[in-house]
Amino acid sequence: MSKGKRVLGLVVALSLVLFALYGVAFATKVIKVGAVYPLTGDIAPTGKLCKEGVELAVDIINGKYDLDLIMARTEGIPSLGGAKIKIIFADSQGSPRTGMAEAERLITSEHVVAMVGGYQSAVVKTASYAAERLKIPYVLSDATSPALTRRGFKYFFRVNPDDVISARNFFEFVQDMEKKFNRKLRRVALLYENTEWGSKVAAQQRKWAKEFGFKIVADIPYYHGATDVTSEVLKLKSSKPDVLMHAPYVSDAILFTKTFKKLNFNVPLWMGMSGYLDPNYIKSVGKDGEYVVVRSTFNPDLARIKPLIGKVNELYKKKYGRDMSGIAARSFNAPLVLADAINRAGSLDPDAIRKVLLETDIPGDKILMAWKGVKFNKIHQNIYARYILVQIQGGKYHTVWPWNVASTKVVFPVPAWNKR
Amino acid sequence: MEKGKHLYYVVLVVLAIVFPIVFNVPFVQHVAIMVFMYGMLAESWNVIGGYSGLFSFGQAAFFGIGAYTSTLLYMQLGLTPWIGMIAGGLVAIAAGIAIGYPCSKLKGHYFAIATIAFAWIINILFTNWSFVGAATGLSPELAPADSWYAFQFRSSKLPYYYIGLFLMLLTVYVVNKVIKSKTGFYLRALGENEEVAASLGVNIAKYRLISISIASFFTAVAGSFYAQYVLYIDPPSVLAHFLSVEIVLIAMFGGSGTIWGPIWGALILVPLSQYARAIWGGMGSGLDIMVYGFVIMVFSIFRPRGVVSFFIRK
Amino acid sequence: MDTTNLVQAMVSGLLLGLPYGLIAMGLSIIWGVMNIVNFAHGEFLMVSMYITLGLYTFWHFSPVMSIPVSAVILFGTGWLVYRYIVSKVMSGPMLAQVVVTFGLSAFLQGLFLFLFTGNYRTVKVSGILSQSTNIHGVYVSYPQVIASLITIVVTLFLSWFMKNTMTGRAIMATEIDRETAKLMGIDTEKVNALSFGIGLACVGIAGAILSSYYYISPYVGLLFGLMSFVIVALGGFGSITGAVIAAIIIGEVESLGGVLVGPAYKYALVFSLYLIVIFIKPRGFFGW
Repeated sequence: MSKGKRVLGLVVALSLVLFALYGVAFATKVIKVGAVYPLTGDIAPTGKLCKEGVELAVDIINGKYDLDLIMARTEGIPSLGGAKIKIIFADSQGSPRTGMAEAERLITSEHVVAMVGGYQSAVVKTASYAAERLKIPYVLSDATSPALTRRGFKYFFRVNPDDVISARNFFEFVQDMEKKFNRKLRRVALLYENTEWGSKVAAQQRKWAKEFGFKIVADIPYYHGATDVTSEVLKLKSSKPDVLMHAPYVSDAILFTKTFKKLNFNVPLWMGMSGYLDPNYIKSVGKDGEYVVVRSTFNPDLARIKPLIGKVNELYKKKYGRDMSGIAARSFNAPLVLADAINRAGSLDPDAIRKVLLETDIPGDKILMAWKGVKFNKIHQNIYARYILVQIQGGKYHTVWPWNVASTKVVFPVPAWNKR
Repeated sequence: MEKGKHLYYVVLVVLAIVFPIVFNVPFVQHVAIMVFMYGMLAESWNVIGGYSGLFSFGQAAFFGIGAYTSTLLYMQLGLTPWIGMIAGGLVAIAAGIAIGYPCSKLKGHYFAIATIAFAWIINILFTNWSFVGAATGLSPELAPADSWYAFQFRSSKLPYYYIGLFLMLLTVYVVNKVIKSKTGFYLRALGENEEVAASLGVNIAKYRLISISIASFFTAVAGSFYAQYVLYIDPPSVLAHFLSVEIVLIAMFGGSGTIWGPIWGALILVPLSQYARAIWGGMGSGLDIMVYGFVIMVFSIFRPRGVVSFFIRK
Repeated sequence: MDTTNLVQAMVSGLLLGLPYGLIAMGLSIIWGVMNIVNFAHGEFLMVSMYITLGLYTFWHFSPVMSIPVSAVILFGTGWLVYRYIVSKVMSGPMLAQVVVTFGLSAFLQGLFLFLFTGNYRTVKVSGILSQSTNIHGVYVSYPQVIASLITIVVTLFLSWFMKNTMTGRAIMATEIDRETAKLMGIDTEKVNALSFGIGLACVGIAGAILSSYYYISPYVGLLFGLMSFVIVALGGFGSITGAVIAAIIIGEVESLGGVLVGPAYKYALVFSLYLIVIFIKPRGFFGW
């Protein structure tokens, strides 16, 4: 055996042992909670926003804040002697396999007592499976695929509304628009990025379109890393829709907007989600993003009807220097709901936490969202969760629907590109 | 020397068997399982890329075919993934021949790009084919408890660890046997110089297909193993172009054209990427990717023939 | 599908394909001369886009003004990358270069993510670069027209350069037969460095002009890099005109084929076309 071989063998063996030892972490007094987000890869900017929402929630749980929000007025978890929550973040790289491995690592090596977050449905699918297997509660507030809560998992809970609710809300909105403006908007075009999330969104929209009697005139899946989307837009153009419903991540939202303008594709009602809500979107497309109606669960202008929103937004602004986005606000919920459960359970035992999560009944005035509250049904979906719709006007999101919470009048129809 | 060598192997295998019991930490075991999987993939690639001179950049297609075949057979017919694994391997051989036969005249980079194109086509077809779950992918029903029939183990990672270790060693064993046989001699002749091999009367097309079949089979078996391990497959995770590139990278980094080179590659690169991410990934700063790329770059500048070049005395 | 949309798809395909050609041309030169796969090609496109963004942010350079700067910087980068990285592995096994350039591409992605975060950015253009025109219902955007014209100019220039200058002929000679070129007294190391520089300069030009209508992020190079592999192989390695013609064909298939067959399958069409051509003509359109 040559010397080189022995030295190399030794080095590799030693580093493997060191790596292995790294995995054997030490338990500390803080309560660790795990969160897996896409922190690198082409969805990284959005993953970072989610992370910010979670961080702010943890600040509020651990500190003393004069807010009418669960866990705000106390420091840490009172029933556990004021123990502090610490979030251990991990990078899923947007891959289901990595998401699963990182969730396992957080649970078994970092000894987190619960998991929150995930953002991409495909990643949450495997990460939550890991948590389920290891019997660790998983509270989700930022992935929307309906399939996630339909697997009969014992430890998995979702605070935010899913895509079934979203699709129904979209068509309710279009119906409301028809009444308000006395104009038929029956021709609907579906455009969606073709992975787990986008394709499930489209499936729900197809279902609800049938229910509400709308006609799908175009049904276009696309690859979200595409360098060019001319053919997609030309297809849309020739289908002459009244309504466009678009499910993109952020990079494709930008690319489509630029191509719509370039090819002069005009649609009276332009609706979107997710990627359109990322502040990078407005920053990148500027005025071209005006008048898109985007689904959200939160908007700073709701402070008018719910002052708590304004206060939390101020805290966020102080920390990150800009308004809280719908994406960050959505991720903000899970840590609070979880902390509240841990507090009520007075224990870190997974089954104790699970039991009180099932009993959760948080009134609407104690949460950030403009919902009636948080209460889980038998598949662990929050029954009070619903969407609002915001429209981009003057480079900002303004709440336009439901009418009773709207801060601004909806602009309709979207002006043609040459009239802007 | 020969005796010492055997002892060396025995010690290594014993260490590998004891390792997960000593370090009974799921993440460490996960990294080890990934080492086995990538080791197996890189070793399979080694047959075509390392020995036969066919640089395939489309192995993800076969990996995906294996994953989808066993999962579909289990979901549709309730067939155990153990048989599904073999079936996946056979389907992959068929696919390998279907693409390998028309490509038999292609050389070097033209062949490489053809495999990239093939893998992308498979990816796009699967993404739009509702029978295989289209973009949503497939998730088999989860067994309520550990089950050898369903090839699902929830309570511990140890079964996956040992199955992975076994499959990797099996691949190494088979590849070693093939390469040392007469067939292997022809394969190597093909890899060194195709024209010379042809003039010596080697049936190039035939040996190319043999080589492709071996690689496709083991790659697909690894795919089935992956599907049973993660229990959720979709085109971005099992048919991605990046997976094909990773396989080539690991084999080349370790040293292709040698039996243990690809395994060394997996043993070093997989933990490097996993731990770099575990340590720095949570910040989302890109530092982990940077370190990973940098190590690969610097290392290959100094060791262009791969890690195994440490072992070859000049 | 009405005629206007079909014509639109054809025009868009052409305007999409030509800039692809510029990126692919750079890859083709490197590939032809050194017989190596530059896996970091797309990442160098990303680097040149960030250079353009930087010039715009600090000195309000428009993307067109950035072209020469970006080309020169990328030329220098190419030279250095060859001298200090690629040349070290030229003597190794055939695919050692793959490992090195892959490492380089991961490193560049990580570096730019580290320096500039993953946020999507755009260069705010004004004047002619922000406009488009409408000819009988067919829309043409000026930045894409400019990008296409520049591609044509660069193609003509490089073809002329390769045939009519000493340096160009040295590159061609090395491409055809390295050993003979060496015997005839050509410094092939210098030729390599030069070709790497020229190859990246093409990408520098492409990145600058692309910034006027494309978003910028650390991952932007991925698919562009991949498409240029296919284009180069379709056109034949080392062929400059081959790369441009193949690029136009790919652009048309992507755009027109996408409209006719369905956008979900457009990349499948592109790759199928490659396979069909390569089965009939194993060395691409213009390869020898």
